[in-house]
Amino acid sequence: MSDTPPDRSTIDDLRDRFRARLESSETVAALKALQDQFLSRKSGTITGLMKTLGSLPHEARREFGSLVNTLKTEIENAIDEKRHALESSRPPAGAVDITLPGRLTPLGHVHPLMRVRQQVEDIFTRMGYEILEGAEVEDDFHNFEALNMPPEHPARDMQDTLYLAHPIVGGTWGAHRSPVPGHVPEAQVRAATLLRTHTSAMQIRYMKTFPPPVRIMVPGRVYRRDNLDLTHTPMFQQFEVLVVGKGISMADLKGTLEAMLTSLFGHVKIRLRPSFFPYTEPSAEVDITCHGCGGSGCSVCKQTGWLEILGSGMVHPAVFEAVGYDPEAVTGFAFGMGLERVAMLKYGVSDIRLFYENDVRFLEQFPVP
Amino acid sequence: MKILLSWLREFVDVPGTAEQIATTMSVRGFAVEGIESLPEFTEAVTADGTVARTPAASADAVIDFEVTANRPDCLSVAGMAREIATAYGLQVRRPVAGGSSLALTSLKSVEQGDIEIAIENKELCPRYVGAVADVTVGPSPEWMQARLRAAGIRPISNIVDITNYVLIELGQPLHAFDSTKLGGGAIRVRTARPEETLRTLDGQMRTLTPEMLVIADAERAVAIAGVMGGVDSEVSAETQTIVFESAYFTPQQVRRTSKRLGLKTEASTRFERGTDPRLPVTAMERACALLELVRAGTARGTLVDRYPIRLEPAVLRLRRDRVSGLLGTTVPDTDIKRILESLGFALREAEHGWDVTVPTRRVDVLREVDLIEEVARHNGFDRIPATFPAVTVAPPPMDPRITQARALRTIMTGAGFSEAVTFGFISESSAAPFAADGDIVPIANPLSESFAVLRPSVLPGLVAAVAHNRRREQRDVRLFEIGAWFSRARGERRSLALAWTGAVGADHWSGGTRPIDYFDVQGVVHRVCQALRVDPRMEGVAEPWLVPGRGAAILANDVRIGTMGLLASSIVEQQTLSASDAIYVAEIDLDSVPPLDDDLQVEALPRHPSMTRDISILVADTLAAGTVRQTVQENAPDTLVRISEFDRYQGKGIPDGQISLSLRLTFRAPDRTLTDSEVQKAVEGVLAALNQRHGAVQR
Repeated sequence: MSDTPPDRSTIDDLRDRFRARLESSETVAALKALQDQFLSRKSGTITGLMKTLGSLPHEARREFGSLVNTLKTEIENAIDEKRHALESSRPPAGAVDITLPGRLTPLGHVHPLMRVRQQVEDIFTRMGYEILEGAEVEDDFHNFEALNMPPEHPARDMQDTLYLAHPIVGGTWGAHRSPVPGHVPEAQVRAATLLRTHTSAMQIRYMKTFPPPVRIMVPGRVYRRDNLDLTHTPMFQQFEVLVVGKGISMADLKGTLEAMLTSLFGHVKIRLRPSFFPYTEPSAEVDITCHGCGGSGCSVCKQTGWLEILGSGMVHPAVFEAVGYDPEAVTGFAFGMGLERVAMLKYGVSDIRLFYENDVRFLEQFPVP
Repeated sequence: MKILLSWLREFVDVPGTAEQIATTMSVRGFAVEGIESLPEFTEAVTADGTVARTPAASADAVIDFEVTANRPDCLSVAGMAREIATAYGLQVRRPVAGGSSLALTSLKSVEQGDIEIAIENKELCPRYVGAVADVTVGPSPEWMQARLRAAGIRPISNIVDITNYVLIELGQPLHAFDSTKLGGGAIRVRTARPEETLRTLDGQMRTLTPEMLVIADAERAVAIAGVMGGVDSEVSAETQTIVFESAYFTPQQVRRTSKRLGLKTEASTRFERGTDPRLPVTAMERACALLELVRAGTARGTLVDRYPIRLEPAVLRLRRDRVSGLLGTTVPDTDIKRILESLGFALREAEHGWDVTVPTRRVDVLREVDLIEEVARHNGFDRIPATFPAVTVAPPPMDPRITQARALRTIMTGAGFSEAVTFGFISESSAAPFAADGDIVPIANPLSESFAVLRPSVLPGLVAAVAHNRRREQRDVRLFEIGAWFSRARGERRSLALAWTGAVGADHWSGGTRPIDYFDVQGVVHRVCQALRVDPRMEGVAEPWLVPGRGAAILANDVRIGTMGLLASSIVEQQTLSASDAIYVAEIDLDSVPPLDDDLQVEALPRHPSMTRDISILVADTLAAGTVRQTVQENAPDTLVRISEFDRYQGKGIPDGQISLSLRLTFRAPDRTLTDSEVQKAVEGVLAALNQRHGAVQR
């Protein structure tokens, strides 16, 4: 302190300094330091001021003493108040820092192809279809001949086949059904000679085992002699649906496809285009409106506005004849869809090989469920 | 099939641009693979060496139609024209004798012409037409060459170009022989002789077999019927007389020969799918007209038409109610008739519909349903409404296999494992350690070495996937797969496989994690068994793909259902990973596990308290805990409800070669509260048995 007598402005300066310090004191320790600075009996600023009072004339002493006292009380109160505030905001004993991360138990992810597969399974389960898994190895009769592709049929070229060096017994199916398929001749694959090129072989085995009506879906792995590239894999996941009964029409096929595809892709329009498959007649390729452009044409759909999604048709009478159904009495529809194609369009995957690399950084992008 | 727009318009006056035609036809069964616009100017180098540009007569384009395998009749300009005419409701022009365009030269059919023709195998060659012409060989005119190039055919000489022109225009493959090179002036259609050889036009020497049909002269084969001609009878610059061949060969024969020789040509592609047996004469007359048009020569005016087996058009009944029944919509009679007649079918009223005569070129139309498709196609699939099949039977039961797979998927993802999907075939070297000798199923025609055999286990593919991730900076990898595997002895089976490497959990601020060990993996295996509702028992096992002493067979009800353990370093190294990478694996054969059912009955909750007793024993460190457990179980009263090992210790204070094993035994009776002395007695009995059987000493 200077030796010049204090005045009102000295008090005001002091108050301002105190307020600024108080503002920045965020711990009890800092508050204590502040208190000492102003109020310490030995060296406090206020205490120092008090000591100068004696040297003032009587009138000034009274007036100034009152000002100093007011400031002292103000400071004491303010420190008490702030201390109280700081103490009450202290976490209770045993409190933890809740912003630290917890111990994560790792969560796995469902493969996108299986994710899509179950979505489609669920759509058809809700419509009363039965899920069946057939054998992945098959014989020529069920994979080709009974599906209206006799030996040397040109359509066999469409599905380049992988053959087994030795015949083996195929996987079982339908053990939960009565009659037990094992008791029906040819229900099970006894001597498989090839890797199935489509799930349609199950159409034959199912229809040979059970009478109409039929309402099944057959998801599963199928194999073709295709080299691995951006859009092809030698093994892929097919999803097949077959409905047979009295009066089943192509309109029923269209309605069913619309239900499935809008359920999978949202508000898309669908289009059936005439095509050719030996086991269906009429046959149709099915397109959905392009999600990239909404149908006006873009690079995704090669300017057509449409994306091809699956093949379908009305079951060929020759197939019914092969399984012992009367084509005059029943009709049916079938379609087969590649789940890779669905997942690629749905999730914006541009390289089919990603599905088979099983890179966890890819898999992790698909949440459960 | 590449169709030049201006060529097409010689057959049908179709309006619009190539793009518009493509859009229309793509919903009639002819997807368009591409459209190529031809330049609006033609360029030519003039005499003074400059380039002259002349505007083309009209904007032209090539539309590449995708023709499905069942429609060989559309592998020609005329064929596509017919479809386009029907789609647009237009008339199609046909080639006629003396016409200004699409002209034919009338040829008189004679028994004995300038060439002698004999068919020895009429089943393989029901029709063979030959005609002789005098020619001057040279290049064909530019317009013809341009059209061939547009169709994807390389121009060669006027004679060869004419045969190709007719092939593209009408769909009938033709062949031209140099008549002077046919020995004996004769053509024999016969099967090849054993070991007969022929150098085909591509320069290759072909060895033929007696199943193959050939065209021969008096002595030797000069062409492979329907596939390719021979070099020796090829038309050359010196050729003055030719024989045109226009025939119908049976599809299976051409297909078989083409496949066996690995030789596919424009001709074989059409013959093997089926050409029109009624077309050969028209095609011959068109070829002769073109001969005159391009001033390449003159036909002698006659042809020899050998037609030993006449292929008559089929007549099919088309019923009105089948059309509406199959399509789910009614198509008016007038539309049915319009569509079919425009496509060349002839209709006659019959009961409930029509009797329809099928043109011989329509090899795909064999049944009523094929006619219905024709109607549906040109009536428009977009006119078919959307309805739903009625449910007429009770919902089917759920396949427990699906339920099981879904349960496993839930359990495994909950345990931190992500689902992988790997290929069903793998390389032989990665398969070998996982299969017994001779149990691997090889693929007869594999794509490559890496896809050579069916996988004998799901594990090799899964381990490869782990390696893929390890090489991409992933420390912790947990993968599982549910899928089929294959064995010669056991056939196709399904299993759940898992692979785990890295740390137990993620790093945490409270302290590091630790590398996984055997018992982490065993815990997951146990959990899977819980989900499958089987009680697993472990038995030591030696597998070439597991580290010795770190592997177990998983048994349920004494049946082996799987295997688990630490992957052998040789297999880890095979995946180009460091041998120190600890990869634990397990595989459970799902076909060995009973299906999940819902046959559950609750047990009453215990009404009396349980009592626990801890015992600690010293036993040899080679004694398996499972054996101790079994001894305890066998020597305790029924009131023992639970045994758990809670400590295993070896080291200070324990004699060498021994361990201290601590077990917590829980006793409970369903009907009363157990007394101390009763439990004490049970524990003493257990200890006595452990001592007697294993020399166990209580600590």
